[in-house]
Amino acid sequence: MPRITIDGVEMEVPAGTTVLQAALSRGREVPHYCYHPGLSIAGNCRMCLVEVEKAPKLMIACQTQVADGMVVHTQNEKVKQAQAAVMEFLLINHPLDCPICDQAGECRLQEYAVEHGTGVSRHDVGKVIQSKAIDIGKHIMLDQERCIQCSRCIRFCNEVTGTGELDFFQRGDRTKIGLYPGKRLDNPYSGNTVDICPVGALTLKEFRFATRVWYLKNTPTVCAGCSRGCNVMVAVGKKQELMTSPGQFDDGIKRIVPRVNEQVNGHWICDEGRLSYIGLEAAGRLPHAQDADDHELDWDEAVRRAGKGIREAASAGRLGVIATPRATNETLHALKSLIDGVGGAATGVQSIHRGEDDNLLIRADKGANSAGAAAILGATGADDVLRSAGEGALDTLVVLGDLLDPADTIDLGDVATRVKQLIYIGPFADAASKAAHLRLPVSAWAEEDGTMVNVDGRVQLVRRCHRPRGEGRPGWRVMLDLFPGAGVEAPDWSSWEDVYTALSGGTDTFRGTTAESIGLLGLSTAEPAPAGA
Amino acid sequence: MEKVLTRNIHKENSQSIDVYLAGGGYEGLRKAVTSMSPGDVVEAVKKSGLRGRGGAGFPTGLKWSFMPKEKTKPHYLLCNADESEPGTFKDRLLMEQDPHMMIEGCMIGAYAMQADAVFVYIRGEFVHGTKVLDKAVAEAYEKSFAGKNICGSDWSCELVVHRGAGAYICGEETALMTSLEGERGYPRVKPPFPAQAGVWGMPTTINNVETLACVPDIIVRGADWFAGIGTDERNTGPKLYCLSGHVQRPGVYEAPMGLPLKELIYDLGGGMLHADRPLKACIPGGSSVPVLRAEECDVNLDFDSLAALKTGLGSAGIMVMDSSTCMVKALLRISHFYAHESCGQCTPCREGCGWMERILQRIEDGKGLQQDIDLLKNIADNIEGRTICALGDAAAWPVQSFVTKFRDEFQAHVDEQRCTVQGAAHA
Repeated sequence: MPRITIDGVEMEVPAGTTVLQAALSRGREVPHYCYHPGLSIAGNCRMCLVEVEKAPKLMIACQTQVADGMVVHTQNEKVKQAQAAVMEFLLINHPLDCPICDQAGECRLQEYAVEHGTGVSRHDVGKVIQSKAIDIGKHIMLDQERCIQCSRCIRFCNEVTGTGELDFFQRGDRTKIGLYPGKRLDNPYSGNTVDICPVGALTLKEFRFATRVWYLKNTPTVCAGCSRGCNVMVAVGKKQELMTSPGQFDDGIKRIVPRVNEQVNGHWICDEGRLSYIGLEAAGRLPHAQDADDHELDWDEAVRRAGKGIREAASAGRLGVIATPRATNETLHALKSLIDGVGGAATGVQSIHRGEDDNLLIRADKGANSAGAAAILGATGADDVLRSAGEGALDTLVVLGDLLDPADTIDLGDVATRVKQLIYIGPFADAASKAAHLRLPVSAWAEEDGTMVNVDGRVQLVRRCHRPRGEGRPGWRVMLDLFPGAGVEAPDWSSWEDVYTALSGGTDTFRGTTAESIGLLGLSTAEPAPAGA
Repeated sequence: MEKVLTRNIHKENSQSIDVYLAGGGYEGLRKAVTSMSPGDVVEAVKKSGLRGRGGAGFPTGLKWSFMPKEKTKPHYLLCNADESEPGTFKDRLLMEQDPHMMIEGCMIGAYAMQADAVFVYIRGEFVHGTKVLDKAVAEAYEKSFAGKNICGSDWSCELVVHRGAGAYICGEETALMTSLEGERGYPRVKPPFPAQAGVWGMPTTINNVETLACVPDIIVRGADWFAGIGTDERNTGPKLYCLSGHVQRPGVYEAPMGLPLKELIYDLGGGMLHADRPLKACIPGGSSVPVLRAEECDVNLDFDSLAALKTGLGSAGIMVMDSSTCMVKALLRISHFYAHESCGQCTPCREGCGWMERILQRIEDGKGLQQDIDLLKNIADNIEGRTICALGDAAAWPVQSFVTKFRDEFQAHVDEQRCTVQGAAHA
């Protein structure tokens, strides 16, 4: 491997590595705009100019490959002068409208201006005027003045989605990003262009003017939109009691952005997953335990009744259970333990399929934990359970409702009227919930910790990003509360990790793994679980 | 001197293949294909000392030798006929008056590099030249100087004329490639160099029209004959000089490499346009090279003599300016061109060219600030050597040289808030 020296630090890096990658891999920041690890190298921003000894000119670190014996300077006077010059060029025609720009606070232009700029502008001859607030897609707005022409968005649409909606138009300092005639930036991954835009040129309509980024609290978790299990960062507003602007400072989800995981989603997520929080935030929630007449039930009374119904039906061999494939492994394992404790039930996992797999990330199987559910409950669909219930063969039907979208909770049709007791355990006041005789609220996605298994058999952490709405409790804890009423000795679990430990001890897919070993990037299970239910 | 490159241009029907053949045309191609190996051709061109006539003056034979010897992919030769450097109009003459000389050179080059096709990328504005060239290409195909089994050999090579759409940047070799591929004409980051991965990712060499037009005579009359013309072994061959500006007889002149600049202006060009307006400045190699003051004009027009004066032969576009010329206005015109033609891909050139133009406009308008002169120079310094392609340098060099060599004039414009040259002349 070539040995190189960067700023006096010797390092050995694989051949083919660029100077920029080598520097970044050792925690040395070389400022850059156009370089993005998920895209081809453009070399156009010129921000990463560094001095390579023996080279006649400064070289761009993003494109220069290491060679044995190469000596690189990224911080000397010559380089600093070049960086300051590029910063000055980038800013002369920039509108400097940071006070009203959504990117402020996470803007590379702001950051590098502070770190590498001179702090003053020598430009006083009038800026090039371009168009602002151009609606270029269902979710995307374009500000041509803020754009620094790094071409990341163009390369994304050409190289990642292959849809090619964007390109440069005009020349020189009149250059602008724009749509090809007749096109709109409406590909299913369009939101990623906003993430990779280093400035505020591309903004997401759903996030525009919603809040300031410094009022956000970010939690790394996993998207529940489909079985890919894309790694995401969920941003919620920090609750600020003293601030009075309504809506701006609540603790609701403000946006979802991708989190890099080369094993799962690379750098990207789809728009559906990105915006999945909107339906979740808007959905009618089940505020507390209720009976069929919408009367609030004391929690202990509610779980006692539910447990009793489960026990009685099970003892008659007339218990049915249908679970959403978006429940965590912990909830499903607790449910499975309960069912086993009462002597078994007709059990099925709901199937949520829409559209087709694409060749990037989107899966038709919308069950974020289909693989985990299949491993824990067995790979059976919900049809047999529904049929049995419809034929009057079941006394009690327990439905574990969807955790992301009320529309995805299983459609029970008139089955609800064919069972003596329909127990709904879920976060939403959805159709199944309304038909139920007993309703137990649980926390929705982003409100509880746990694990899920994606389509490739990767166990990943889903995290609590904000507090649950209403009285929602984590699913596994609700199950645990049902044990006494069902006449089953409750396991000694006090956290989701305890449940996971029990799960990994008893289910092959998870054997040998621990809650602590999963980590933020997930853990491939030894033998990938069968996909889908 | 005996005319070489322009020997046919005044003949009747000089564009036709019959006239070209009657003058011994295509003997070079026939000789190369039937009696020389491709390596022999490359060696002959190396030995001739031929250097690129497009601007950079890179040794042509050496460039050809960069092409892979083992052929694993199609090879391409591009003929850069996008002549668009201000002050340059020699390739146009060759294409419009004697297209077969260039075509023969293309095919010899293609043979030397075992190219599968030659693409002639012609400037979009050259409508007449395109018509002439299209006809000449058809004639070449008809006589088997292009296409299948060239000159009866088992070597075949296509010859395609492609019209550009009028962007200056598309004369830059890698931008020409992206344009030829149908993309926006953007220069490419190097490496990879064209000989490794050029047009459509295939090994590619690109040569200027005049460069290729030199090749047939090198093959027919020998490298030594060619090398015997010119200043020295590094500056060889016949050369076309484009003379424009304040002279009596502007035009294209053929003379040996190393023609004294004063001889071009005062003998061939007939002297200054107005007897009472002496030479003030001269740009010797197209608008992008640094300007020379009158007292620097005792120089030979070749690569190395001009390099010694920190300017260049470039594309041999010699622009003569007399004492009535306002250097601020002249530079504004040049900077406007580069600001207009900057492709906008990389930051320093995209932003800097427009900035320089706006400052120059301010000085020209009589509103210049004291700091503007140093600022101009500093902006140019921040562009030079920091861009993807040479357009950044091309925009920076005139600014650097004008404001340095004619600083007094810029200073007077700022001090008096008016043009001190033409204002005085017209007073």
